[in-house]
Amino acid sequence: MQSSIIRQILILAGLALLPAIGQALYFRDQVSWQSPVPASEMVAVAQARSWGNQALWVDARPDEEFVQEHVPGALQLNEDRWDELLPQMLAVWSPDKRVVVYCGSQSCGSSREVARRLRKEAQLPNVFVLTGGWQEWRKGNR
Amino acid sequence: MKILFSIGLAALLAAPANAALKWEKTELDLHPSFSDKEAIGRFKYENTGTTTIKVTGVHTSCGCTVASLEKKEVAPGEKGEITATFKIGNRTGAQQKTVTVQTDDPSNPTTVLTLKAVIPALLEVQPTFVYWDNSKPLEAKTISIKAAKDAPVTKVTVNSSDPLITTKVEPGASPKEWKLSVLPKDSQPRTSTLTIQPDYPEAQPKLYYASVRVTNAPR
Repeated sequence: MQSSIIRQILILAGLALLPAIGQALYFRDQVSWQSPVPASEMVAVAQARSWGNQALWVDARPDEEFVQEHVPGALQLNEDRWDELLPQMLAVWSPDKRVVVYCGSQSCGSSREVARRLRKEAQLPNVFVLTGGWQEWRKGNR
Repeated sequence: MKILFSIGLAALLAAPANAALKWEKTELDLHPSFSDKEAIGRFKYENTGTTTIKVTGVHTSCGCTVASLEKKEVAPGEKGEITATFKIGNRTGAQQKTVTVQTDDPSNPTTVLTLKAVIPALLEVQPTFVYWDNSKPLEAKTISIKAAKDAPVTKVTVNSSDPLITTKVEPGASPKEWKLSVLPKDSQPRTSTLTIQPDYPEAQPKLYYASVRVTNAPR
């Protein structure tokens, strides 16, 4: 009886695995829409704050949200105006800085994208994404 | 085999009930061209139920996407669409934006509509930033410029905002690749923007930029 149940579980697991394998093979050359950020490239609010003047805060949110409120001293860099804002940010950057990029909350993707472009296109070292974004930063400042 | 049958039956019974607001597609793949400034997706719906449905909220995942609704109330049998306009801005590569639609339909109160687009880049410039620490000898640095395979770019010209930053464009490994050599004339701290202009589109070429800096040595 027990071996029959195990056999059935294995059959079901095998059947469930087949479409997954098929999908993985069929879509192997497809674009990845959401690239996960490695843990080493994320930073918590407390740690980023402990970096003091070494931290260069970069706000990846849309203009209107930045104008409303932002981390004191943060520079604006979003993809709506990337070409215009990037030179302004790079004019302030120095090799000893740690760049901390944030957007609205944990679920927003713009900070990851901005951080990715800073690393890949501008080839900046020490670029981090703030865990929880602006929402998390505000919690620690209430 | 009884277990297999039970699981199959449970899976069938667990299938979602047919919602009154039926969407033709909840995911759209858009294919903007090199010169497009925005990408537009139209999500079509139909009220297949017997009562009027009210749309109580429409939210987008990004400030770059604007969703417009034809009507806030959809009568039974009525069709319509939500237009999602994604402003490309200076984005490139794979992009995914969502529009969340909330209704008073208890069987399906929230629907997430997804726009996917791959924004083609006419030119790939890498790196977009070069810098020198002026405590070290200044040597030329190279920026690689590659045109997209299907882009009819045959030539690029480069201008520096600072005449003391010199540039030289040389052919690369293929007819669609170039090497941009950059060298400051002196070691004074300075910042410059390089404007890279392809010869396509002829009437209004899209400009690309790279930043250059000479910095003092970190203290």
